[in-house]
Amino acid sequence: MTRGLGRGLPALLLQRLLQAGLVAWMVGTLTFVLTRTLPGDMAYRIAAGRYGHDMVDTAAAEAVRAELALNQPASSAYFGWLWDLLQFDLGRSLVSGEPVVRELWHQLGHSLGLAAVAVALSLLLGPPLGLAAGLRPRGMLDRLSEVVASVLRALPPFAVGLVLILVFAVGLGWLPAAGHGRTAHSVLPALTLALGLAAVSSRVARNAMADVSQSAYYAFSRTKGLSDRLTFMRHGLRNVAVPVVAYLGVQFVYLIEGVVVVETLFAWPGIGHALVHAIVARDVPMIQGTALIMGLLFVLLNTVVDIVCHLLDPRRRHA
Amino acid sequence: MTLAQQAPLLHIEDLAVDGDGVSIAPFSLTLIPGQRLTLLGETGSGKSLLAQAIMGTLPKGLAARGRLHIAGQTFAADDTPSRRKLWGHTLALLPQEPWHALDPTMRAISQIAESHRHVAGRSRREAGAAARRDLAGLGLQDAGHKLPSELSGGMAQRVAFAAASAGGAHIVIADEPTKGLDATRRDAVVALLARTSDDGGSLLTITHDIEVARRLGGEVAILRQGQVVERGPAKRVLTSPQSDYGQRLMAADPSRWPVPRPLTCKAGKSVIEARQLAMARGGKTLFEDLSLNIAPGEIVGISGPSGCGKSTLGDVLLGVAKADKGEVIREPSQSRLGFQKLYQDPPAAFSPHWTLRRLLDDLIRRHRLDPAAIVPLMVHLNLDPALLDRRSGEISGGELQRFAILRVLLLEPCFLFADEPTSRLDPITQQETLSLLVELARERHCGVMLVSHDPALIERLCDRRLTLGDTDTKSPAAITDTAAEASLSP
Repeated sequence: MTRGLGRGLPALLLQRLLQAGLVAWMVGTLTFVLTRTLPGDMAYRIAAGRYGHDMVDTAAAEAVRAELALNQPASSAYFGWLWDLLQFDLGRSLVSGEPVVRELWHQLGHSLGLAAVAVALSLLLGPPLGLAAGLRPRGMLDRLSEVVASVLRALPPFAVGLVLILVFAVGLGWLPAAGHGRTAHSVLPALTLALGLAAVSSRVARNAMADVSQSAYYAFSRTKGLSDRLTFMRHGLRNVAVPVVAYLGVQFVYLIEGVVVVETLFAWPGIGHALVHAIVARDVPMIQGTALIMGLLFVLLNTVVDIVCHLLDPRRRHA
Repeated sequence: MTLAQQAPLLHIEDLAVDGDGVSIAPFSLTLIPGQRLTLLGETGSGKSLLAQAIMGTLPKGLAARGRLHIAGQTFAADDTPSRRKLWGHTLALLPQEPWHALDPTMRAISQIAESHRHVAGRSRREAGAAARRDLAGLGLQDAGHKLPSELSGGMAQRVAFAAASAGGAHIVIADEPTKGLDATRRDAVVALLARTSDDGGSLLTITHDIEVARRLGGEVAILRQGQVVERGPAKRVLTSPQSDYGQRLMAADPSRWPVPRPLTCKAGKSVIEARQLAMARGGKTLFEDLSLNIAPGEIVGISGPSGCGKSTLGDVLLGVAKADKGEVIREPSQSRLGFQKLYQDPPAAFSPHWTLRRLLDDLIRRHRLDPAAIVPLMVHLNLDPALLDRRSGEISGGELQRFAILRVLLLEPCFLFADEPTSRLDPITQQETLSLLVELARERHCGVMLVSHDPALIERLCDRRLTLGDTDTKSPAAITDTAAEASLSP
């Protein structure tokens, strides 16, 4: 992550904008190349996506091939896509025929909702636990939370999700295992993501808190007469928040990657779910569209993180 | 003052510190209003622990014994919680290294105002006004909105002083308040400290800088290995010390050092030469049109205020940084290893996890050096072979810096950039270390560039000197190679 050190906010935003353009082009190109190199005949896969696996025959596949001009050379397909992208046209889904933008818009809302709940949950769990552990380094809470965090972060999201389903849905029967619609449905998928995020942010907060509480300025604040609570509020929180927020930017990789897996696992109708389906059906415009949105989302979230860091840390504004 | 004239503000009765291999013998002192006491001693003599024992901030594993009478109240030395309510109100601790003691993300004025508000109990508006008054009184009226990283060391110390004393404490304990400051800024901080006792407070200063003790006056106590070896009025102790250690300490003041033997053969060749160097950092010119050359075995001193580009010049000479303009010509027969640096903070220059033997072995293996060179060097540097099996944290700062010299000399450098190598050492250790460095450099025909903010030291030790920047009112980056023409200065 580039840091906006030594430059003002406008320069930072401009840089992020350029980065967004670059990401859009690279992600689009990469997904184009990857889908082209996938084994199997695209026409058959698309036809299966449209009419169902049992209804596909050579004639249906050929009809699809002709309709979508799948025979055209790769280069012309690629430049056609690039030209459309420059006009903000993501094309139509090869399967449903709907504009990609409309499909994505719908799914993106679900994904963002899930991600927001997950991040909020992780912030409620991770940093407070980390602060408590960091105030007493090597204490009981510190060591226990270190073990739990290591285990949670070492497990891939689908394994965490499965364990949660086994415990809360199958075992205790408190929450639904999958689906969408009620608030209860979002608890397990959001918790799956939140646990992985909180595992890391609790350790980042713990280390930051331990460093700050050992620092000369923390000691000085106390000896100049401020109480522990005031010292923590005035000199602890902000200094701890800077690395925690900055690290959130890195964690969004985990979040976006996690969304794909978790949505598939919990049948959550979001953008990650859509991506997996699009790949199975070789729905190239949908794949490109979803990957593009995810890439841009990453840039956007990092921009938000940068702005928050900018507001939190006066050193950046001054430099 | 409303306080009774002779009632002591601070009376310490048999204060001792024990634990973790540290032991400070029972120590007593009395400070009446308006009095100053300076504790002078070598690094590792436990001076700072005494300050911490009085405040009640000793690190874990150390315990204090004895009794403290502070502003009419009596405390057992190990009862630290009850002393906490004195912090800021009665007892103020001026920290070491003010840069680190200020919150890096908070503006100077807020750090002072919060003491006025939360310690002195003023309203938000009054606290802000009081902080502005403090800043103006310290000549910092324009620095209020600045962050600590934008303050110079001297400014940061003044801000810390204002923040520490805003609560109205009459007893000020200053723990190495001038560490890392150059002579001008040091004197300004000393003047500031002196105000405390002029205003009827008591001042306890802990330092290894004899000049600080001299300027503060009042009473001086010399500490060695946790024992007070001598105490009395500053005038007497600093001019005619009675104890053996006191005499050695005073003799170690750079102004009293014997003149080292001069550079005898000044060969025509230089080990390093710089031509018309220019460098700017952050819009500020550090140096311009700077030319210099250093002969084998020659000691050239650089002085100048903090931040004037001394270390940057070193980086340029060593080829670590590139100058904006000009060129550096290094002795062509030497590899890059022939140009070395000696660092300011010895503990930061050694890996703490390995024994010194292991660190030296690694170096020898890496550069295929002759292991037989270690022993004679250790003898020369007065290092006990038993120290090889310790880690860097387990030997004294002076020993570690001598190990750093040994390590760098193993590489047989032809040029050494010594960046304030003794600024963290006490005077006796400083003199020992530097005289060894000069002797070895002469013997091995290694040119040395010695950075120091002590003009007396440079005057005494160096063949020539270079002043970077300017402490006076002249342009901020004026360079005077004072002795460039006058071949060898004293």
